[in-house]
Amino acid sequence: MEMQHSDVGEVRKVTLKGRLDTAGVDMIETRFGAAIAAAGKNTVVDISEVTFLASMGIRMLIATTRSLSRKGGKLALYNATPAVREVIETVALTDIIPLAGSESEAVSIVTGQA
Amino acid sequence: MDETRVVTFARVADFGLDVRVHCLEVVDGLEQGRTIIIKENGATLGRSPPADIVLSDSEVSRSHCRFTIVDGILRMADLNSTNGTFLDGIRVSGEVPVPVGAILRMGRQTLKHEHRTEKEILQRDEFDREIKKANAYVQALLPQPLAEGPIEAEWVFQPCSKLGGDAFGYGPLNENEFLVYMIDVCGHGAGAAMHSVAIMNLLRKRALPGTNMAEPTEVLAAFNAMFPMDDHAGMYFTMWYGVYNLTTREMRFATAGHHPAFLVGTGQEPVPLRTRGGLIGADPGTVYRAAAVTVPPGASFYLFSDGVFEIVTKDGVEWGLNDFLRLLPAAPIEGQNESTGIFGQVRGLARAGELDDDFSLLILRFH
Repeated sequence: MEMQHSDVGEVRKVTLKGRLDTAGVDMIETRFGAAIAAAGKNTVVDISEVTFLASMGIRMLIATTRSLSRKGGKLALYNATPAVREVIETVALTDIIPLAGSESEAVSIVTGQA
Repeated sequence: MDETRVVTFARVADFGLDVRVHCLEVVDGLEQGRTIIIKENGATLGRSPPADIVLSDSEVSRSHCRFTIVDGILRMADLNSTNGTFLDGIRVSGEVPVPVGAILRMGRQTLKHEHRTEKEILQRDEFDREIKKANAYVQALLPQPLAEGPIEAEWVFQPCSKLGGDAFGYGPLNENEFLVYMIDVCGHGAGAAMHSVAIMNLLRKRALPGTNMAEPTEVLAAFNAMFPMDDHAGMYFTMWYGVYNLTTREMRFATAGHHPAFLVGTGQEPVPLRTRGGLIGADPGTVYRAAAVTVPPGASFYLFSDGVFEIVTKDGVEWGLNDFLRLLPAAPIEGQNESTGIFGQVRGLARAGELDDDFSLLILRFH
């Protein structure tokens, strides 16, 4: 599991690549939290290259979204593959974390312009 | 005559109680939980002997990589393996140091580099034995199969080595109603298992305060209020809950983040049973929805955890729910019940090594 982040204006953009399973989460959880919750910025997460989303990955996303929200920041995911979108739909994750169809849509959601 | 003793395997006893040894813990793949100790003069890793560390994975080369210990630091060199050696996700070329805690991958085997004392390793073995005991406790709480009556029930429960958070149950709520449920606590290990036991015991004892257990949405809402993630070490769980009325033949059900159960009438296609609802413990405001289906006589009902279909086949294909559905209903085999047959099929199709997650499959037959 790989992770990169950059800033697009006031919005933080994080890109995840690989399997978000127990091992994958183990590898990046601390950095993910630091880049998002600790930074406290509105954040969009590109999951187009996440090939697998399992329960620990879902837990990490929910926990980070909630930590960020306590600092007043919002998080949105975007560009899920069909397989990952099915998992997201099964657990109704979008009730807690929005899923957008593009980076610009995700940015609009977190900056409140949607 | 000189006697040469060739030491091919390092044992913990070779080192002494408080000396730290470099070891690799199998995090994923064959023999999950195994601790491989690397002796001072190093080791080669490959899929067959004469490699010192043998991982029987066809995607691991015969001579895949070599470990050495230089000035107390573990180093690793890829030996031109076919599929590469990966350190924290990056393919290794040449020879590199391996930090403690680094995640290594060769083929489908994932190993973590640890630097432990003998005492710590022995404690880990003790811990694994405790996991087995915890497992036995969960098994003891599962209901007895039902061989006769208006509803027959059979099941297979095969936890993975790390002990997952699967649990399920069924039984009469009163003389007219019969409940059935399955839960899956996120993650693995004793924490997830303990959580699943607490949930199962509340259901077994019908002990949810102020809740009508015949109404699935009330049951899910009660659990959601009782088990917020933040109060339970960040753990959430998914649930499928249904109540069957023997008089009306109606099954009323609600799901929380769980994939569908399936109802298969005689000669019919499987019908998915699921309502949209969020994970239990994730959000106190979650609204749960119920739906109902009439169960025709002779229908079979399949309720299973994701460990049943989230497998990778021997050809490296990642299965999904739809792949598993093709196995239902399973053709009857003399002397073997259906759930055991399905379990055998899935295990046969899955890649080498054990199934990655708990396998829970429950089948009810309605007369």
